[in-house]
Amino acid sequence: MIKKLPVLIFLVFFAFLAKSLFQDQTEIPSPLIGKPIPTFSLPRLNAEGLVSDIDIVGKISLINVWATWCVGCLEEHQLLIKLSQGSMAIPIIGINWKDQTDSAIRWLEERGNPYTEIAVDYEGKTAIDFGVYGAPETFLIDDDGIIHYKHIGALTVDVWAQEFLPIINELKQ
Amino acid sequence: MKRKILTFLSVFVIAIGSSTAMDGLTPEQEALYQSIVHEVRCLVCQNQSIAESNAELAKDLRIEIANQIKDGKTEQDIKNFLLNRYGDFVLYEPSFNKKTVFLWLSPLLLLLLIFGWYRKISLN
Repeated sequence: MIKKLPVLIFLVFFAFLAKSLFQDQTEIPSPLIGKPIPTFSLPRLNAEGLVSDIDIVGKISLINVWATWCVGCLEEHQLLIKLSQGSMAIPIIGINWKDQTDSAIRWLEERGNPYTEIAVDYEGKTAIDFGVYGAPETFLIDDDGIIHYKHIGALTVDVWAQEFLPIINELKQ
Repeated sequence: MKRKILTFLSVFVIAIGSSTAMDGLTPEQEALYQSIVHEVRCLVCQNQSIAESNAELAKDLRIEIANQIKDGKTEQDIKNFLLNRYGDFVLYEPSFNKKTVFLWLSPLLLLLLIFGWYRKISLN
């Protein structure tokens, strides 16, 4: 037994490395889960005045970080529109991240606007507070503004059904 | 020849132009800035530090770090700022906590195991 110990160590180590090889390293768990959304005060995209974290808290909602330069944002746009409509509609707050304001407005005119509010984060400071590193990113917050889930990359019907809906149903109870 | 000189000079202009985040830092602050930006992982392009990366986010983080240094924040303040937003993965040298205890101690554990094994073998 004792002679075989190095072989055993090697096998454990090998299994560990092999597992890591097939793990998705691009999605990093957010330390913000379970914490309130960061404070911010940003200009509105399509209206006068500022929008702050206090303004958007009150309902179970999504915070979606998007930009016109982001490919995934285009991919998920129709789904966002669907989620914003109908009896099961969920408020979606947009954070327009490091974008050109006029192209962002045109983008929404052409493709429809799923957002109840859009804050413009031109400098990217609020995005840093949200720990954003790749648009699109979608946060699920409860009626107290606590973050319950974060999805990085384009939202899909599957992700919505498997990740978001169970949490939303739990929050509603 | 003239063209060569121009090319040569333009390299400097580009180099100067890209270092705007460090404007207005004292030499000590600049040293601190350099040591931090080389330790922060660019999450968009995971195998580079934010010092090396041209990603927009890396630029934003460089500016943020420089501004915090100007405001008199310490290295630990700035690292905590990043950890609270991006998690342990953002630093190349992860902090020692409950989640990283195995990561930090496993080499020692392995060494002890091997040492123990070696002694057993040589005693036999």
